[in-house]
Amino acid sequence: MISAFVDGFVELQGWLLDRVVQPPLLAMGMGSHLEMAFDGVEFFLCGVLQLAAAYLLLRPLEALRPIEVWTDRRAVRVDVLYSFLDRLGVIPLLMFALLAPLFALVDGWLRFEGIIPPQLEDLVPALESRPLASFVAYLILIDFAEYWRHRLSHTLRWWWALHAIHHSQRQMTLWTDSRNHLLDDLSSGFWFALMALLIGVPPGQFVGLLIAVRTVENLSHVNARLSFGRLGERLLVSPRYHRWHHALELPTGRQYRFGCNFPVLFPVWDQIFGTQYLAQEMPSTGLSDGPLPESAAQSGFWRQQWEGIQALLATFRPNPHRR
Amino acid sequence: MIPCPVSSILRLTGKLLVVLLLTWNIAAEAGLAIALNSAEGTISLIDTETYEVTGKVTVCKEPHHLMPTPDDKSVIVACAAANQLVFFDPVSGREQKRIRDISDPYQLGYSPDRKWFVATSLRLDRVDLYDPVDFRLKARLPAPRAPSHMAFDNASEFVFVTLQDSNEVMAIHLGTQKIAWVMPVAATPAGIVMAPDNRYLLVASMGEGVVEVIEWRFQTSVRKVATDTAAHNLQPRGDGRHFFVSNRTVNGSISLLDTKTMTVVDKFDVPGGPDDMMVRADGKELWATARFARKVQVIDLTTKKLKISIPVGSSPHGVFFLNHAGLR
Repeated sequence: MISAFVDGFVELQGWLLDRVVQPPLLAMGMGSHLEMAFDGVEFFLCGVLQLAAAYLLLRPLEALRPIEVWTDRRAVRVDVLYSFLDRLGVIPLLMFALLAPLFALVDGWLRFEGIIPPQLEDLVPALESRPLASFVAYLILIDFAEYWRHRLSHTLRWWWALHAIHHSQRQMTLWTDSRNHLLDDLSSGFWFALMALLIGVPPGQFVGLLIAVRTVENLSHVNARLSFGRLGERLLVSPRYHRWHHALELPTGRQYRFGCNFPVLFPVWDQIFGTQYLAQEMPSTGLSDGPLPESAAQSGFWRQQWEGIQALLATFRPNPHRR
Repeated sequence: MIPCPVSSILRLTGKLLVVLLLTWNIAAEAGLAIALNSAEGTISLIDTETYEVTGKVTVCKEPHHLMPTPDDKSVIVACAAANQLVFFDPVSGREQKRIRDISDPYQLGYSPDRKWFVATSLRLDRVDLYDPVDFRLKARLPAPRAPSHMAFDNASEFVFVTLQDSNEVMAIHLGTQKIAWVMPVAATPAGIVMAPDNRYLLVASMGEGVVEVIEWRFQTSVRKVATDTAAHNLQPRGDGRHFFVSNRTVNGSISLLDTKTMTVVDKFDVPGGPDDMMVRADGKELWATARFARKVQVIDLTTKKLKISIPVGSSPHGVFFLNHAGLR
C-alpha cells in the first residue's frame, strides 16, 4: 500500500513537472533548474498533503473541543492565506531565490580561500551510514537552533517588531503557525542557511524533517483542549505548552522579560535555559501591548506587512520611553 | 600405491572450491550495477542478470555521479554536499575508502593519459584539478556559471566543460592549468563528449533539444542535430561510431546519434526522465536512470523496447556496471 502511494505520488509529481513546470522553464532558458523544480513540485505536493491532513484531523478537534468559541472567525482567514502561501511553497521559493545566491557566493568564496565548511558527519562519521541516527541528530540540532532563533526574535527589538505579527492573532488556530511577516520569514531563512553552512545541510530525509517540524507546529497552535499528559508535555511541545508562549498575560512574577516556552519540538531547551512556564489553564492569546497597532489582530495580509515594516522602522528611531 | 581417500577428498574439495570461487567471481563481475539515489543519499545495488535490487546502502549527501578508477578496481562516487569521494568495490559493492575535503564534487573525470583527475562543482561555479594519485588539489578555476559535464581530447591537452547557466563551453589547458577559451553554445548545455575522430565535441543542449557539433580546434559550431526535448547526456554505444542521447523529460526518450553522418538514426521512448546511461558489453541492453520516476530503466536494444523498470530511490542519477561497452 505504501509502495502504491509512493508510486502514485511520484507519477503525479512527474505529470505536474511535465505539463506545468517544465514548458515555461525550458522556454525561459532555465532548463538547468529542472531538477530543483522537480524537488519543488515534491515540496508543493507534500504541502497539499499536510494542509489536507491538518484540516481533516485538527479542524474537527477544534470544532469538538474548542478552547475558545468565536462567533466571528473572519480574523482567522488571513492565517489560512498565510498557511497556503507557506505550505504550498510560494514564500519558501521567494526566500530561497533571495538567499541561495548569497550563500552560494559566501560558500564559493570560502572554498577559494581553502576553507570547506564543516559537516556534522565530519565530526561524527558514524552518522553517514545510520539514517535513523542521522535523522534524530539533525532533528535535535535544528530544534536547538530554532529555540535560539525564536528566542532572539523575541529579544532583538527589530526582530520582535516583525515577529509580533505572529503574536498579534487573538484567535489562535491550527492555521496561525504560518502567520509571519515576510521579513521575519527572510530572517528565519537566513538563520537556517547559516546553520546549514556551519553544520551542513540535513541529509536525504530533509522532507521528513520538515514534515515532523511542521506537523508539531500545526498541532501546537490548535484551538482545542488537548493534553499530552504530565510527562508528555515535558517531552514534546503541546497546544497548552505553546499557548502560554502566545499568552496575552503571564501571572505576576512569572513574566520573563522576553517571553517563555520558545521551542518548536522539545521543551527541554526551556528547562535548560530557564525559560519554561507550565500551567494547567488555557490562557487567552494575543498582544497586550507592543510594537503593533491594535488593528493588526484584524488586518489583512498586505496591511499586516505594512504594519510590520512601520514597526520595524520605529525601532530605529530614538525613543526614550521604549522598553 | 593406493591413494589415501582422505587426501583425495581434500584435493577434490579444494579443486571444487577453486572452481566455485572462480565461477562466483565471474558471475559477480558480470552481475552488479550501482545506481546513485542523489536525493536520499543512498546507492542501490542491482543484480544485472535478475534485475533485482539486492541492497540499498546509505552513503553520503547528494551522490550524483560515479566513475571507475583506471584499473577498474574501484568505482568512485562523488558526494557533492558531503565534500567526499567514496570508493566502492565494483564487484561486491562494498565500500573501500573515503577521501574527505574534496570540495563539492559533482562530475568526475580522468584525463585519458591518467595524469589528471577533474571534478566540477555545479553549485559553486568552479572546476578543480587534482593529482589522480593522492587527490591533492592542483588548481581551482572559477567557472561561472554551473559547470556541469566534461570531456577530454585524446591527447589530454584540454578538458572541456559545459557551463549550464551561461550557455557556454569552457576549455581548460591542463598543462598550464589555465582557462584557454570560452565559447557560446546552444541553451543550457549539459552532456559533452569527444567524437571518436577527436575533431568534434558533441554537446547536448537541454534548452534547444539538440546535440550541437563543435569543431573545437576552431571553436566553431558546425551543426545542431535535433534529438528531442531536453537533450541531456551522451553515452557511447561502444562501436566507435554511435552515441545514445538521453532526452530528459518525464515522457522522455533516448536518441541514437551516428557520428559519421551526424544524424539521429533511431529513437525510442524511455519514460521517467532518462539521465545517465550505461550499455552492456554485449550491446544487448541500455540502462538509464529515470530521474523523475525513482527507477532504473532497462531497454532491450534488439526490440528497442523498455524491458524492465527497476525501482530504486529518490532522484537516481549515476549508474555503473563493470560489464559495459566502453566509456569513451
